[in-house]
Amino acid sequence: MHDISDLELRGVPSVFVASAEFVDAAAAQGASLGFSAVARVFTPHPIQDRTDDEMRAYADAAYDEIVTAVTS
Amino acid sequence: MNSAATDTRRREQSPTDESSSHVLPDGLVAVVKAECETCQMVAPLLADLARRADLTVFTQDDPAFPPGVAAVHDGDLGVSWHHDIETVPTIMRVVDGREVERTVGWSRDEWRRLTGDPGLGAELPPSRPGCGSMSVDPDRVDELRVRFAGGRLRSRRVELAAREDDIEAMYARGWTDGLPVVPPTEERVLRMLEGTPRDPADVVATVPPDLVDVSVEKVAISAVMAGCLPEHLPWVLTAVEAVCNNEFNIHGVLATTMPVGPVIVASGPGTRAIGMNSGVNALGQGNRANLTIGRALQLVVRNVGGGRPGGVDRATHGNPGKISFCFAERSDSPFTTLAESRGATPGADAITVFAGEGPRCVVDQISRRPESLAQSLAACLRTLHSPKLVLGFDAILVLGPEHARVFADAGWDRERVLAELDARLRIPGTELVRGAGGIDEGLPATFADHTLPKFRPGGILLACAGGGAGLFSEIIGGWANGEIGSQPVTREVQP
Amino acid sequence: MSSPRYVLDPTSERHVAQRERLARPAGLAGLRVGLLDISKPRGDVFLDRLEARLAEAGARVNRYRKPTFTKPAPVDLRHEIATQCDVVIEALAD
Repeated sequence: MHDISDLELRGVPSVFVASAEFVDAAAAQGASLGFSAVARVFTPHPIQDRTDDEMRAYADAAYDEIVTAVTS
Repeated sequence: MNSAATDTRRREQSPTDESSSHVLPDGLVAVVKAECETCQMVAPLLADLARRADLTVFTQDDPAFPPGVAAVHDGDLGVSWHHDIETVPTIMRVVDGREVERTVGWSRDEWRRLTGDPGLGAELPPSRPGCGSMSVDPDRVDELRVRFAGGRLRSRRVELAAREDDIEAMYARGWTDGLPVVPPTEERVLRMLEGTPRDPADVVATVPPDLVDVSVEKVAISAVMAGCLPEHLPWVLTAVEAVCNNEFNIHGVLATTMPVGPVIVASGPGTRAIGMNSGVNALGQGNRANLTIGRALQLVVRNVGGGRPGGVDRATHGNPGKISFCFAERSDSPFTTLAESRGATPGADAITVFAGEGPRCVVDQISRRPESLAQSLAACLRTLHSPKLVLGFDAILVLGPEHARVFADAGWDRERVLAELDARLRIPGTELVRGAGGIDEGLPATFADHTLPKFRPGGILLACAGGGAGLFSEIIGGWANGEIGSQPVTREVQP
Repeated sequence: MSSPRYVLDPTSERHVAQRERLARPAGLAGLRVGLLDISKPRGDVFLDRLEARLAEAGARVNRYRKPTFTKPAPVDLRHEIATQCDVVIEALAD
């Protein structure tokens, strides 16, 4: 969240991808940085025990939303 | 805390602060109160002096006293407060607006010397003690502090609704850690600030996750809420400094899913002076210094830094120590203190902060041989967090005094104990790789032909605390160590 | 009895004005897209797949890696990314 906030301040549109466990923490952190609008996309949880194929499926599922988050 | 007469420490006042309206007139200045028998005794002498010399008398209570003197009524006690009047009568000599000397109570020799009058008070006894000044009356001091020193506070004042319960008000605003907090009134915060000579506006540290500069004043507010006494404040300030840096990485400690929080291990004569517990139930409840110092640190992290459970704090389980986890090492430990072993000046007041979980007990009530006890402790340390994981975590080993004595009686010092533990914590890779022992967790297969230490060098932090009866020690497991996690930090306590 | 009661604010008293997101480009074709790996396990697999999809879409992908997920990225890395990329995707926290 700090990184994305910083990169946006440097003029680079950015998005942060996290698992669904992060929904509340991301909202809280964004608000505390004064940047509630910070772009973020969530994948399903868990992550740690997913196979490579499962991770690639997560990426495919999130791809459109990620592109939308960094384009107009 | 001691009587108000000794707990009101003044700081150097610049010529431009409030006391400019309390500049003393030149000549002799006396401060009295009608209610004081010694003041009554010297009243005729003061009336006589007033006729012959440049004398100004400030009276704290009744402006008609002393008779025959045009006394100035120090009704709001501003003159008395700003000039540190602790006893009445006090008589001072003032030159060019600055006090040159003073004497308190009645002493014929002193008054003669100060006034330059060799015949002064011949009819009076040689000496008589004075009375307490109204400006140090314990019932008045808090109010006076707010009146004269409150302007130095910069925090926003938050008004409580007229019928709002003040304890519930703290909950309603999200300022508590789940337990009630002491409402931080101006009086309480000013009293707390007496515990340090630092300026309330001084910045102590930058607190993650919101990266807020926290002032001495803001730390004092958390210290009040935690239930600290002013003498605890320097320890809290040092703890805040110790955790708010990249080394300790309080941000990571807060945001991790592991159950860790800051653990404070204290040592030095100051721990006894403030009443910390290093003995029976040292890691448990009941001791004000232990619990409030640990709590104040977490309240700063929560309220100033913005790190809260459900927000940035995402611990899967947490642990009860996240309310407060602070204890002192025993002064009769056979070993050097943890702080000293980590570079603190021997004998100095110091703390070590560690990202730790709740403590786990090691039971060994049979071992009399140090080798056996070392083996026993190593066997329990071996399974820290997982029997299949090595090097990634540190631990505090709190040796109970009875266990410590087994080592000390054998002539083992701190270094020897740690070396003997390390020697017993080298683990064959075959036991650690994934799948070994029927457990899928573990190291990649490539480590099968290595032997690995459970802990990195220095990964066991040895402390000595606990009651004198009981052959037990405690292991406090840590969070991820090294550059990517948290490293312990030791700091000497500054007032 | 009805005089106001005050306490001192224990918080940071932050009142930060809410920021808006930067304007975004219309599409990613031909743009430099930075993929910043926060270094948690499995994230690289996720990012590999994003990279393949982005390349198909005509973007030029730059890969970066933070030393640790537990702290903000080092300032030099952030500067490097900012000068070499048009948009950035940071992943994958769990």
